[in-house]
Amino acid sequence: MKLYEFQGKSLFREAGIPVPKGAVVTASDRSGLFAPSAVKAQVLSGGRGKAGGVLLASTMDEAKKAADSILSMELKGEPVKAVLVEEKMNIRAEYYLAVTFDGEAGTPLFMASASGGMDIESVAEHTPEKILKLPVDPLWGLTDYKIREMADFLGYENKKEFASFARKLWNLFREKEAVLVEINPLVVTDSGLVALDSKIEIDDDAKPRLKDLFEQNLSEQARITGKEADADHGTITYVPLDGNVGLISDGAGTGMLTLDLIKDFGGSAADFCEMGGLTSPEVMYSAMDQVFSDKKDIRSLLVVLIGGFNRMDEMAEGITSYLRDHSVSIPLVVRLCGTMEEEGKTIMKEAGLPVYDDLRTAVADAVRFAAGGE
Amino acid sequence: MAVLVDRNTRVIVQGITGKSGILQTKSLIDYGTVVVAGVTPGKAGTAVEGVPVFNSVADAMKETDPNAAISFVPPMFAKDAAMEAMEAGIKLLVLTMEGIPKHDVLDILSYASGRGVCVLGPGTAGVISPGKCKLGAHPARMFREGRVGVVSKSGALSYEVGKTLTDAGIGQSTVVALGGGPIWGTTQRDVVELFNADPETEIIVLLGEIGGSTEIAAAEYIAESVRKPVVSLIVGRSAPEGKSLGHAGAIIRGNKGTAASKMEALEKAGALLATTPAQVVELIRKLG
Repeated sequence: MKLYEFQGKSLFREAGIPVPKGAVVTASDRSGLFAPSAVKAQVLSGGRGKAGGVLLASTMDEAKKAADSILSMELKGEPVKAVLVEEKMNIRAEYYLAVTFDGEAGTPLFMASASGGMDIESVAEHTPEKILKLPVDPLWGLTDYKIREMADFLGYENKKEFASFARKLWNLFREKEAVLVEINPLVVTDSGLVALDSKIEIDDDAKPRLKDLFEQNLSEQARITGKEADADHGTITYVPLDGNVGLISDGAGTGMLTLDLIKDFGGSAADFCEMGGLTSPEVMYSAMDQVFSDKKDIRSLLVVLIGGFNRMDEMAEGITSYLRDHSVSIPLVVRLCGTMEEEGKTIMKEAGLPVYDDLRTAVADAVRFAAGGE
Repeated sequence: MAVLVDRNTRVIVQGITGKSGILQTKSLIDYGTVVVAGVTPGKAGTAVEGVPVFNSVADAMKETDPNAAISFVPPMFAKDAAMEAMEAGIKLLVLTMEGIPKHDVLDILSYASGRGVCVLGPGTAGVISPGKCKLGAHPARMFREGRVGVVSKSGALSYEVGKTLTDAGIGQSTVVALGGGPIWGTTQRDVVELFNADPETEIIVLLGEIGGSTEIAAAEYIAESVRKPVVSLIVGRSAPEGKSLGHAGAIIRGNKGTAASKMEALEKAGALLATTPAQVVELIRKLG
């Protein structure tokens, strides 16, 4: 779950991390507007500043105009439905400070740079030595010597203030089970460190034990955007593509291999649909539903199954029950093998459906059928 | 020999009384894996497929002397079970579940590295040393004993390549799946290192995919230290840029993580590149 800046800042405030005074303004409620101020688009995507989503206003008139202008914007396809109006800060320096995790090293990671601001991506690309990456052992927590290392790297004088700030950030990262807490810029003002922006993403897998946090923030987002949060599709990943061979697989690795093979055989996939780890007849059914309801013009459907934890009898049940409920007129190519494959093949056979064992043959046929071949 | 698991592996199944636990325990025993105990709190005294069930890993340790654990414990309880197994002295832990909260995974991995525990996963299909021990979901007929070591992130891709090799008469020493990420315990580099030191493994097959940089780290190790032939297959070369294809690792960021950049690094490191499983077979045959 990604949070809007103002939602992240309310978590900051709760955690005792200094943020500017501000108010949320929407098209229907402008009572919070004030000046002088910074008027900032509330969107979940990045790159807002470069796209003109932040305007400065010296007078109320300017603030109104800025809000009107930003509330009519679309940033990376996301219509702006709210702005955050904040007091202007007297900025002496802009830092970058974030906590996330390095999945390949399997450890939480602090990142700090004295070159904060809009161009941090280019700093990362061209002068990576200007970003300190500090792994933190989650069981030890953020130790004093790592805090000192960061403060020294940033060149920030008030070590005690920085230590308190960094600890609060770390505690927030842990307690709210964030996968990312990013402050860019973290500004140095006359009165000390202030989080001028916030980008927070909470781990969706932690939802069962953070029900209130999810409920509160998602319903707030729904009120702002005027639409419900996306339905939970379980572990299914669905990516529409441009071709005409529909594709469903029971693993991302084999799905990507099949994508490559479809291309090698001169075809093109209409989608990438991968069922993930927790499969069942219902998941198989809804994967087919997803592809057929999104893709009206596919010419063949290729289902690639190789069962380890997922059971081929359950996959066959899902496929046959979908075909009982829907009329499917395009050729169906099912490669099915692995756990409980005999049972799965029997179910398919009783439904009059052929089953492939070899992946290449299956892909070749699916591509040929899509091209109108017999 | 082989790596990670062999005939001396004595397994406990955590979460043995759940639906997956029961089905997979049967499949492990059918394969010949020595399953000595199961653990489900509150179910001591019962048995699953003839395997005695204990309330705690510590109890199972006292009576059955296991050295590896496979966990089917549901995601929200997986951390507790993993900590319990590690504290009791288990040195190889296979975490099959997906959806374990990420901070729990980070805690598990921190604890594991302090204790020298090898963690496969989370979200892994596990590991098989054909003919000796299966500690995962592998369909038995797709694997046979031999001298090719296979390491893969994706479980299904490891079956696919295992099946293609086996159908071609090429056996495997050990086949290891690491899980789809976004956080990994054991990585490709770690397993390549194990294969490099394993006298039974003569050829290493490295299966990778777009996204992340673990294949690059493996390539660096191969360039430095591996003299055994390495055959590599990176899938997702036809994926459109910038799209996430399931595994959270499979997101192309700039040039890093593309199939092309990984293939280049592996080729430079001396690996032979295949673009399909069938080509993996061809390359191995050429090696003789």
